[in-house]
Formats: sequence, structure tokens, C-alpha cells
Amino acid sequence: MEKATIRLLYRKIITAASQEPWEKLVLADTYREFLMQVQTINPDKKYFTFGELIHHVPGAEKLHFLVSASVIGYLKQLNGKVPDIINNAGKKFLPFKGYQFEIINSDIRNISKHQIGINFISEPLTWYDTIDNQLLVSVNAGVQDEYGEILTEMFSMQPYLSIYSLKKKNADDTTI
Amino acid sequence: MERKSFIKSGIAALGVAFIAPLANSCKKDADTTTTTSTSSSSSSSSSGSSSGSGSCSVTSSETAGPYPTITPSSYVRSNIVDGQTGVALTIKITICNTNNSCAALSGALVDIWHCTAVGYYSEYTDTPGGGYASVDYTSSHFLRGRQTTDANGLVTFTSIFPGWYSPRAPHIHAHIYSSSGTSLLITQIAFPTDICDTIYTTVSPYSTRGKQDTANTADMVFSDSLTNELSTVTGSVSAGYVLTHTIYVAA
Repeated sequence: MEKATIRLLYRKIITAASQEPWEKLVLADTYREFLMQVQTINPDKKYFTFGELIHHVPGAEKLHFLVSASVIGYLKQLNGKVPDIINNAGKKFLPFKGYQFEIINSDIRNISKHQIGINFISEPLTWYDTIDNQLLVSVNAGVQDEYGEILTEMFSMQPYLSIYSLKKKNADDTTI
Repeated sequence: MERKSFIKSGIAALGVAFIAPLANSCKKDADTTTTTSTSSSSSSSSSGSSSGSGSCSVTSSETAGPYPTITPSSYVRSNIVDGQTGVALTIKITICNTNNSCAALSGALVDIWHCTAVGYYSEYTDTPGGGYASVDYTSSHFLRGRQTTDANGLVTFTSIFPGWYSPRAPHIHAHIYSSSGTSLLITQIAFPTDICDTIYTTVSPYSTRGKQDTANTADMVFSDSLTNELSTVTGSVSAGYVLTHTIYVAA
């Protein structure tokens, strides 16, 4: 019945133009942590931008991970649901545990240049069908409830939302 | 009407493209590419229209909140074990200020980080192979912590005794900041070798790797500065160990 088990990837980008309170707190606190951590590799403030650091300083890629600690508390506030992605009833529904944080741009002189991305990796979804422009999935591995029904969600694909992985029920089946 | 005429002209262009390669084979690639993109854009626009909803979706309508609250970095905690196994180690670091007669420095931020019993940092297990983390985000920064010094200049962490990795002697990294986050000193803390030998040879999982391969005196970091980077460690495998160390900064 199902096509495959899929995991979705949502890349949420936060910049100085972001308006939501949660986004503003994440921007401010990741910038604060960036300013602290960057001193390890840029002690004499020779470079200003994240791009310069990546280009000139070996090991600058560590900053992605080191700064990521500052978003963990904010991820917990999401109660395990990917932000922004809503089902066709208008509710958040997409469960996640995995994530990857990335610094896109920054500048030690100015928070307005600070841009970060949070890549949310969803928990596995069972994908049954595509109806009109909506995917029909279940988030609980297709387990039937007491009435013998599988509860489902419908949602649209949208910008910055992608299918991260796909696993066939039958390994030999290559059709979708 | 406009869409129909667009499709018509698209089909007409396709016809031209079909003939054009025969007339001038030198321009075949360019002509074909141009026409294909025209025809595919017309077909995608027609399928988008037939679905009736295009790429837009319902706007979220949910109960507001819970309101986001300012949350300190996840480094800020005293217990940094996060499920890692090993011999219990309490880390007590005192920060003193050389600009103030070596008096205790209160309000300083102290970051520490060290490897697991088998020599790995959380940095590398978070994104194995550089891919997306599949680990639970709530424990992704194990064995890393941040505390603020008290009136006695003291911070205390609960952790495990670190293992070692080649070619380094066992160590804890420390980064001391002023209360406003300005870097004051980056340093490392060394361990007495006799205690390392006991743990690394008798306790699993340390014992799978055996004794450290680099002595403190041969270490690239400690060899020229061991006297002020070597910590005092007391305790036992069963009761756990306590590390005490003083770091001097100019604040």
C-alpha cells in the first residue's frame, strides 16, 4: 500500500530580517555564541567575516558545531515539531530529532550580517500516496488505532522542504 | 486564452526546432535546448493550473505560544556527562587574576571540553562524515560545558575521566572569558600519569586502548609548560576522582 518510508529535510534560514520572536532570540544568541567561539581561531581579530574565516583559517568549519550549542535550548521549545511546516489543516505535525546547524554568513562587527540555517531532519514518515499536490503520510509508522485505522497527515511540498531519504518497504522494489 | 496561445506557440517552436537541426547541424544543441525549455515551461504551467492550487498552502492557524523564552547556550550546565560512560570525575577549576595580586576572579566564564573514554569529541560524532546529524539533539554536545566562577573564582563540573587519542597526552581544554564574553585565555589541563595508567589499564572501555601513547613530557602542548598545566587528581576508580587546578589569567 505504501510507496516508501521517507524523511524530510527542512532548511530554516534566520536573518536580521526575520520577524518571529523565536527567530530573533535564535539570531541574537547564536551571534553571541559566534562572537565567543570565534575568538579561539581569530584571537587578534584579523578577519571580520565568516567567509574570510572559512577561506583563511584552518579549522574554521568547527564554528558550525561550536555555535550550534546555542540553539539547542530553542530547539527544545519546539516540542519536537518542525517549525513552519504545517499540514493541510494548518497545524504543525512533522516530528524531528535530528538537526544540523549552519552559519551561512556572519561578521564580528555587525549582527545584521549574521545569517544562520537550521536543517531539521524529520523522523521517518510512511508515504502512501500523492493526492493533487499533497503528500499523504502517516507519522506513526502506519500503526493502526483501535478502530483499525491508520491516522494520516496531508501536506504540500514547499520551498526549503525536501525529501532527505527514502527507504523502500521491499529492497528490490525500485518504483515509486 | 493567453495560456492557449502560449502553448500553441510552444508547439510551433517545437516544430521549428525539429526542422532546424536538419538545416543547420552546427546549431543543433543550442536550438534544441532553447525549445525544450520553452515547451517544458508551458507544460508545467498547464499542470499547475489544472491542480487548482498551485504551490501555495494553508496558512498556519494555531494557538499562540508557548512564547519563546531566552535560553542559555546548552553548554551552560555543571553535569556534562550526557550519557557517556567512564570513571566519574569532578573537575574543580579556580580562576585567579594576575592583574589583581592573583586574587580569585569571580564572574568569569569557563568553557571546558574533553574527549570520551575512547578518545572522541562530541564535535565529530555529531555529524559523522559531515552529513546531517541523526543523533538526538538533546545530547549532541556531550563532555562540553560552561560555568561562571563564584566569589572564590571556582567552577565545578561533573564529568568522566577523559581517554586519550594519538598523538596527545590526556587533557582537558579550557577557555576562560570575561563576564562579557571577551577571551582571556585558552589553555589545557594535564593529568598525573600514574592515575591515567591505573584507569587506562584496568577499567573498561579505557582498557581496550591501554596506556596513553604520549607522555606529558613528550606532548606537543605540555612538554614546555607542564609545571603550570598539570592538575592534582585524587580519588579511586570506585569512588571517582576529583581534579583540582588553578588557572591564572590577566583580567
